Amino acid sequence: MFKYVFNFMGSIGRKCLNFISLLGHFFLFFTQTLSWIFRPPWYFKRIFSQILDIGYFSLPVVGLTTFFSGMVLALQTYNGFTDFNNETTVARVVLTSITRELGPVLTGLMVAGRIGAKMAAEIATMRVTEQIDALGTLGTRPMQYLIAPKVIAAVICIPFLVMIGNTIGILGGYVIAIYKLDFNPNIYLYATVDYLQWIDIIQGLVKAAIFGLIISMVSCYFGYYASKGAEGVGYATTASVVISSIMILTSTYIITALFFG
Amino acid sequence: MKRNINKKIVIEVNNLRKSFNGNIVLKDINFKLFEGESLAIIGASGSGKSVLLKNIIGLLTPDNGSIEINKTNIVNLPRVQKENLLQDLGITFQHGALFDSLKNWENIVFKVKNREKLSNKNAEILALSIIKNLGLEPKILNLYPSEISGGMQKRIAIARAICGNPKILLFDEPTSGLDPVTGSLIDKLIITAVKTVGGSAITITHDMSSVCRIADKVILIDNQTIGWSGTPKQMLKSKNSKIQEFIKSTNPNLFK
Repeated sequence: MFKYVFNFMGSIGRKCLNFISLLGHFFLFFTQTLSWIFRPPWYFKRIFSQILDIGYFSLPVVGLTTFFSGMVLALQTYNGFTDFNNETTVARVVLTSITRELGPVLTGLMVAGRIGAKMAAEIATMRVTEQIDALGTLGTRPMQYLIAPKVIAAVICIPFLVMIGNTIGILGGYVIAIYKLDFNPNIYLYATVDYLQWIDIIQGLVKAAIFGLIISMVSCYFGYYASKGAEGVGYATTASVVISSIMILTSTYIITALFFG
Repeated sequence: MKRNINKKIVIEVNNLRKSFNGNIVLKDINFKLFEGESLAIIGASGSGKSVLLKNIIGLLTPDNGSIEINKTNIVNLPRVQKENLLQDLGITFQHGALFDSLKNWENIVFKVKNREKLSNKNAEILALSIIKNLGLEPKILNLYPSEISGGMQKRIAIARAICGNPKILLFDEPTSGLDPVTGSLIDKLIITAVKTVGGSAITITHDMSSVCRIADKVILIDNQTIGWSGTPKQMLKSKNSKIQEFIKSTNPNLFK
């Protein structure tokens, strides 16, 4: 009996130790990457190509997601607040939800799925095919050449994507409010602009920049330390998306609590 | 291969030991590579040849022992100094390790272009001049590694290693998976590369004909350590069972 209890406790202990070790390893990777970001040479061509990939090519996904989220939010708010339904309530709920939470979180999750997975798979493939080893022997530091441009681009691009996503999401709410719920467009727009607060926008952008850092760092970490061939690439890709998503949802609460708690 | 070998030591490995999770892969490895010398390392698959090479180029750190490149021990050397020292090395990996997001010409000139800040035009000219000796057509320069055959990829990897005329060349199975004609071409290229830059080379190979063509000295890795060493001529006359087994199984005609 005691043997089973000890084995059970032992396995929990091992898991905890592995988790702490992973955190420590990730922290080291995080600080090393940050230090490389601020040291020359900077690979501007690579940064630009990452900006194009993360920013420009993610626009359709982010736009579609936030547009339909804005639409569904307006509809649900109207249904849920039947007793108070008027232009002002729906506009305020759509605006606050999109700028504070839905815009940044949905953008973060979409980018984690699209770009995080790509980053992890690309770097993991380079790792298992010895390309990262080869980089090191060709006078180029892999962290500076491969990872730093991705982190820089993600931190720059995701706030812009969130701004665009917020605008499209609010537009989605407007479309439903005006064409389905027959609200007065002028009153709806006035209520939206009137209720718009800088703190909401700033908070959303801070979240976006932090999500950019989380997605790029987590994805690059799992890619960089991938092993075991094709299986390792698959693991790195899955782990990067799952961990990034969990960290996005956890950090959004912490940031909201810091701003509005 | 008959060439002038100077007595200057370019690589010296002393008492090298390497293990992974307690499993010893290499132990008591000692050898010297002289300037102008071509060394071949042979051994069964999984005997630790590539691990030895990765220790020499600093990708792995030995548990024990020293690796001196041009009289400087690279084990535990600060990063910047190690990078400077490794600038003199040209390396090909077992599977090529070409950057698949870059075109072939960009792969070839990667190190030199970054180091010497070459323009794209000059870099392409440089790449073209290198592949001329490799039996490759210029049109492949603008293709990606995934768009060319395995043999061509090997040659591009060799072109990348010799670009910039490094003084020490390290080749990990450069002829594996190639047809005999291309294999022979690559052997000639290794000889030429070593001759032209007056450099030294370490080649890991299973191809005994290739060993006889390119090597001044041969090392057999067996049972985690150096099981035999000598010249290719001595190798052909050796009574060492592993050596004989190796030659018979790969190329019995070499005995004749």
